[in-house]
Amino acid sequence: MISMSFDLAIALSLIIPVVGTILIGMSGDRPNQRETVTLLTAISLFAVTLWLLPQVAAGARPEVSFFEVLPGMPLKFVIEPLGMLFATIASGLWIVNSIYAIGYMRNTGEVNHTRFFMCFPISIGAALGMAYAGNLFTLFIFYEVLTLSTYPLVAHRETEEAKKGARIYLGVLLTTSIGLLLPAIIATYMLTGTTDFTAGGILADHVSPTTATILLALFMFGIGKAALMPFHKWLPSAMVAPTPVSSVLHAVAVVKAGVFSVLKIGIYIFGIDYLADADLTFWLQAVSAFTLVTASIIALTKDNLKARLAYSTISQLAYVVFGLSLATAAGFMGGSLQIAMHAVGKITLFYFAGAIYVAHHKTEVSQLNGLGRKMPLSFIAYTIGALSIIGLPPFGGAWPKFVLMEGAVDAGQPLLIAVLIISSLLNIAYLLPITVRGFFLKPDGEDTPAPFSWDGVKEAPFMVLAPLCFTAFLCFVMFFAVDAVEGLIAPILN
Amino acid sequence: MLSELNPGLILILGAVLVPLLRGPVRKIYMLLLPVFGVMHLLNTPHGTYGDYEMMGMVLETYRLDQLSFVFGLIFHIAAFLGILYALHLKDTASDTMQHVAALIYAGAGVGAVFAGDLMTLFIFWELTAIASVFLIWARGTDIAYKTGIRYLIVQVGSGVLLLAGLVMHKAETGSIAFDHFGVTTMADFTAGTFLIFFAFGIKCAFPFLHNWLQDAYPQATPTGTVILSAFTTKLAVYSLARGYAGLDILIPIGATMTAFPVFFAVIENDLRRVLAYSLNNQLGFMVVGVGVGSALALNGTAAHAFSHILYKALLFMGMGAVLHRVGTTKATELGGLYKSMPWTTVFTIIGAMSISAFPFFSGFISKSLILAALAQEHMWLAWTVLLFASAGVLEHSGIKIPYFSFFAHDSGKRPKEAPWNMLAAMGIAAALCIGIGVWPEYLYAILPHAMDYEPYTPGHIITQMQLLMFAVLAFVVLVRTGLYPPEIPSVNLDTDWLYRRLAPSMLKEMGKAVTHLSGGIWGLIREWVDNIRALAARHHGPSGTMGRSIAVGNMVLWVMIGLAVILLLYL
Amino acid sequence: MSDNHNHTQDDQELGWFERVENHRLLILLTVLICVGFGAADFFYHKHPHFSAEEIPAFYGLFGFAAFFFVVLAGAQLRKLIMRPEDYYDDQEEAQDAE
Repeated sequence: MISMSFDLAIALSLIIPVVGTILIGMSGDRPNQRETVTLLTAISLFAVTLWLLPQVAAGARPEVSFFEVLPGMPLKFVIEPLGMLFATIASGLWIVNSIYAIGYMRNTGEVNHTRFFMCFPISIGAALGMAYAGNLFTLFIFYEVLTLSTYPLVAHRETEEAKKGARIYLGVLLTTSIGLLLPAIIATYMLTGTTDFTAGGILADHVSPTTATILLALFMFGIGKAALMPFHKWLPSAMVAPTPVSSVLHAVAVVKAGVFSVLKIGIYIFGIDYLADADLTFWLQAVSAFTLVTASIIALTKDNLKARLAYSTISQLAYVVFGLSLATAAGFMGGSLQIAMHAVGKITLFYFAGAIYVAHHKTEVSQLNGLGRKMPLSFIAYTIGALSIIGLPPFGGAWPKFVLMEGAVDAGQPLLIAVLIISSLLNIAYLLPITVRGFFLKPDGEDTPAPFSWDGVKEAPFMVLAPLCFTAFLCFVMFFAVDAVEGLIAPILN
Repeated sequence: MLSELNPGLILILGAVLVPLLRGPVRKIYMLLLPVFGVMHLLNTPHGTYGDYEMMGMVLETYRLDQLSFVFGLIFHIAAFLGILYALHLKDTASDTMQHVAALIYAGAGVGAVFAGDLMTLFIFWELTAIASVFLIWARGTDIAYKTGIRYLIVQVGSGVLLLAGLVMHKAETGSIAFDHFGVTTMADFTAGTFLIFFAFGIKCAFPFLHNWLQDAYPQATPTGTVILSAFTTKLAVYSLARGYAGLDILIPIGATMTAFPVFFAVIENDLRRVLAYSLNNQLGFMVVGVGVGSALALNGTAAHAFSHILYKALLFMGMGAVLHRVGTTKATELGGLYKSMPWTTVFTIIGAMSISAFPFFSGFISKSLILAALAQEHMWLAWTVLLFASAGVLEHSGIKIPYFSFFAHDSGKRPKEAPWNMLAAMGIAAALCIGIGVWPEYLYAILPHAMDYEPYTPGHIITQMQLLMFAVLAFVVLVRTGLYPPEIPSVNLDTDWLYRRLAPSMLKEMGKAVTHLSGGIWGLIREWVDNIRALAARHHGPSGTMGRSIAVGNMVLWVMIGLAVILLLYL
Repeated sequence: MSDNHNHTQDDQELGWFERVENHRLLILLTVLICVGFGAADFFYHKHPHFSAEEIPAFYGLFGFAAFFFVVLAGAQLRKLIMRPEDYYDDQEEAQDAE
């Protein structure tokens, strides 16, 4: 590792997942080999990321190009802070998620483990490919790889419902990306002669504001993974998947890849200054604010926990797009922080949903009365994750809300703060009833709940519980570690 | 390092260990936490400590001065009494949770008082909201569950408004210091300072923002309400005194707060809700003191907060004991309890006399500071309203509470006397109420400003006794003539109607409409996609690829692997 | 209220505060105290801030009137805002059922 070059590190980031996939594929019915390879892949990938992180934080911008597909459009990787942040989150949480997935799959009687575990490394590799992408073309390629490699995961249970959900998943993501994102990329290439991600943007001197607005719309809606309404439906549809998949979709890779692309295109293709000067984003403020609030209101009406969380994710992703639409440095910073903080918070909530399913086969909010007595740790962890998502201190989720508010003020739109406030309050209304039901309400059919005793506790298995508690703890740590994230992103805003 | 720790963190961090302890060890440990806190407080010279840099801001996590000392001290006393009062709770999960929540809540209140900047204030502000709601939920009823959610939304709403105000204030001035904002008339407000003021106003239960208090406090557990009554609202009073002393509109706001709850209290049947209205009314006195803003008035606010926390906790303890033993605090179901709960009766009467401001009880020596400050400034209208409200206090807290629970018509109920720890907490609180009333000089000595005020002049005593005793006479006349309205089991509408009846139905309708709309739009898109797919299927025969998802899944997987391998070969 | 003519109750159950003669005693005591403090107004030197304070027994009269007003106004308020105890329950249950 000591003499590792940047070229090698970037190559390894893509090779390790592929090798992992092949080895998992060869493991056949040997679960130990399958799980060992999964964990080893995850750990070595994270190690490579951690090797890159301090250097990028110190100002290095590793770059490598492979071959030119079109003149000026090579397969190219450049590591800059935003991508580094995304890569760190994705590869770090992937370790946790691998442990969780092993625990979950062992205890739920799901079948076809090999295919299941083979798809994970590819999707993470694709996420890293996006994170390090040096131009729109590379980003697009890995965007599609990510879509396709997660598709078998969504359809994993092979029931009619799963197939239907997966079809919607694939349909929306492919349609938007090929129908909107690809044309936008081609247009950008034709207008500017490049698709390289460049500090300050590449469009400013080449297009009229009208063209830029159209391009922005194509990009924003084309990145279906960011789930901007009305292209959000794939997220609740994908809820048919096993929980570890949901957490990959919601926290580790997929949606994060979407909003990461939104930020990346915003800052490196358009440029914050251009967005602000040409006043391109007023409609995006409206769309993201609408998504933010509406998704929360829909979440209120869902009794199925995972569906509720899915709409919560749609709302939380809109925070990132909202941050970009403010077209200020603080807004962008708020969006970046939101990527990190939401990942940790939401993965906790999904782990909880998986834990109650593994331990007690519960899926609906209304079934949770009194369950907290049996699963106290899980419910405490859930509560912490929920408080972080709501945006309360001392949990990480508080910071993006604060910085986004600053962004709104800087943008001369202080009234938009109201949107953030309303959303936080709605989050309380749909997230915390689960805590109350679990801890304080009587289980159905019991008049007087049995007094608490440790014998009555039936938590999920250790491999499921430990990741849940760990990510909850991480929510707390992130509140104090925010300066590290801020310090990483800040250089690209100067 | 440790000497720079905000005392609130002693309670908060200490709370984390509570679940690990059992039995008597836990009890002693919990009682010791506030004692440690006070010792730490007394050992710190005035100044600012514990600077912590974060996100480009310097947080002053521990600021000790005259004003924060008074509030910090009484918060510790309240925490001690609250813990003692709840000591009979068992080691069960829900009771443990109550202990932990109470300690964190008290610690957050203390922490907020010692916050030197708005960000630290915000952090503790939200923590009070989160921790306190568990004291409501711990009641374990459906009503408490819903009330708790409502309460939390209001409290967190106050917090996010504070945050929004902080952000705007920071943009306006570049500072996050929590000092006087320089606002003394409406015209001085900026967007930032107004939002912060509004946030304080919610927690302080300003008129029309008040109803969370009467909604939530009566739903908490018997021990929870005692703790709740001490911190949230007094934290708001402290914050107003810190940031908005001398702001003129606080006088009409505070005067309104003293007056309107008395009418609601007269007809309220749940005695703990009567006390919640009464709490609102007492806050009004403090807010008026902040609004006047003179040294005497601010001393009055601090002193009144100090004595108010004690007698209000005492009254809630009395009603809590009744709730604990009888299972209800509805006036219609109580009466004659003095026969079997004599100590509780005596202590509650002491609390009632303190809140009514009888001479030689604590309310007298604090409330008269505020009235004297108004008189000094010749604010006759506010003075008249407060005098009127003083008679109102006597009605609902001085007479109604003890009369209907312990005397009045004998309900025939003969509950056991309260447990020893409840009696001990009530006893200490009662002793403090009398002690402060008889020897006010000790409380006066720690007030924020130097002053020369003598509460026990013949004039003060005589006028106050006239006011109170003639009002008692009015009560006698009303009861004997049958004009006094009977207690009726009922709920009374307040501003909570807006969000309990109006808003939920509107929100539900909106949710339905949105689901419907998005369903419609989505339906269109799906139809469109289906059409295209049907078109494609026609061209590619019946075994259309989209039909077999899993086959596609596997195929896609292998294609991807193939692609990846090709990629590798290229490298 | 102070309804002490409850003959269904065992006389031995009647506490000190429920006996008619004690009620009279308490009322008498109240009246005496009021008269005493009212009269005391003439025997000390006042420092009024407001002219109204110079009226003899001003505080007493004010207290009596204020108390009377609070109670009677409260009774009127009931007509406006009093609802059955389960007023909010049916609404919330109806919502839950949805």
